Amino acid sequence: MVILEVENLASGYGEVQILWGVSLQLQPGQLTTLVGSNGAGKTTLLRTVMRLIRPWEGRVLFDGRDVTNLPPHAKAEMGLVLIPEGRQLFTEMTVEENLEMGAIPSRARIHFQRNLEWVYELFPRLKERRTQKAGTLSGGEQQMLAIARGLMADPVVLMLDEPSLGLAPLLVINLFDVIRRLKEEGLTMLLVEQNVHLALAISDYAYVLSEGRIEIEGEAATVRQMDQVRQAYLGL
Amino acid sequence: MPPPDVILASVLDGLLLGFVYGLAAMGLTLIWGVMEVINLAHGPVITLGMFGLFFLFQELGLHPYLALPLVVVGGLLLGLLIYGVAVHRVLDAPHLSTLLATFSVNMMIIGLGTAAFTTTPRNVDFSLGAVEIGPLRLLGTRVVAALAAVLFTLALYAFLYRTRTGKMVRAVANNRAAAELMGIPSTRILALSFGIGTLLATGAGGLIATLFPFNIFTGGVYELKSFVICVLGGLGNPTGALLGGIILGFIEGFIPPFLPVGWTPVIEFVLFVVILLIRPSGLLGAR
Repeated sequence: MVILEVENLASGYGEVQILWGVSLQLQPGQLTTLVGSNGAGKTTLLRTVMRLIRPWEGRVLFDGRDVTNLPPHAKAEMGLVLIPEGRQLFTEMTVEENLEMGAIPSRARIHFQRNLEWVYELFPRLKERRTQKAGTLSGGEQQMLAIARGLMADPVVLMLDEPSLGLAPLLVINLFDVIRRLKEEGLTMLLVEQNVHLALAISDYAYVLSEGRIEIEGEAATVRQMDQVRQAYLGL
Repeated sequence: MPPPDVILASVLDGLLLGFVYGLAAMGLTLIWGVMEVINLAHGPVITLGMFGLFFLFQELGLHPYLALPLVVVGGLLLGLLIYGVAVHRVLDAPHLSTLLATFSVNMMIIGLGTAAFTTTPRNVDFSLGAVEIGPLRLLGTRVVAALAAVLFTLALYAFLYRTRTGKMVRAVANNRAAAELMGIPSTRILALSFGIGTLLATGAGGLIATLFPFNIFTGGVYELKSFVICVLGGLGNPTGALLGGIILGFIEGFIPPFLPVGWTPVIEFVLFVVILLIRPSGLLGAR
């Protein structure tokens, strides 16, 4: 059983092709990680899956349905949610308004109160700052808000693009604790991380993307032991 | 030096008018704030508001203030139409494309309007008499127009800050890609925002029609005033638009007792250039 399947996806910007036929599969309830060096195409892949970038070739299947050409908002409505790189908050709106804007899908709307309490429990700082404008939060708080906003959508599959980028080491540990908790609660996730070591440590399955192609895939524990990966991404 | 009560009466008249100018500018500034489009069809849309009110009053015998809600509903629909036909497809193109697209809508409305309505001035023959406060006389229609402009403004803010859809408008204005990712259908929200911008413009047009005679070109005057106001208040900021409108109204009321009326636009546009030079983000700063 596969919840999200990417088949032979190709895309790029203008004339420049970035992805050259990428395929991957997400099993429900699993945490899958996608690692790769800068410029390998990780963010492009996530953006193409959501159709923020038009796919040139290939298909995206969500829960068995071909959703390749559905616009991003329709995918979010179905439960396929991306927490984009660089937070992308509604900086002029308050923390609570941002969370409200996370809960637009009709599925999420019914559970708004319950989810709000849940994310405030995960990130108590956000509750303290709920009437503050998102743009005035610290970097760490903004990242928490970005994740909380994504969770408010009640995702079936949550994709996180570089959530630890720019965070202080202690906050990175907190972040990974939260991701681990979400995994324990059974949420299916695709994690893109520059922190390859930590990502592989908590993931079930891993893909290594290199120059727009999947170079390696396998159980995270196995991938972690590969010499190639140790040298290229773990600096060992 | 003119007598103080003459100056005061003129200034008050101008201030009341300023609220309506502010309302017109709010339509322009909202569209810019949400989608970074300068709507060059703004003037003709204001004019259509005038004609809408005129025909509902003249042909159907509706009370002007009962006709106004119908006019703004028409304005909303007109905006949805303009967005769908002319704006959406060039939205992500360079600004010149949206300028040309909305300018062509401007030309179409003026062309069709000239053919249909000629350029003969029209007048909504309607009066509420005057309100007397001590030595001052304020025209009833102006007082109502200013109050109506304030009500439109309050309604706009209630919509943007209290309703779910209004918050979606702000979210799309703030970060369109993120809004899409969160499940907000951004195209529908953009169309609605454009519609609300034209709603405000036709509302202002309808109110102006109760004050002055007009023809198909009159809206252009208010479009220019809207630009001055947006520069005063900061483009993209509805409060700034109202404030800018009031300032402009004040100037228009203050100058005539001292100088021939012909000087008013000169001073307004000098101010426009000066503000652009010293404080290009406007008095309240862009949002």
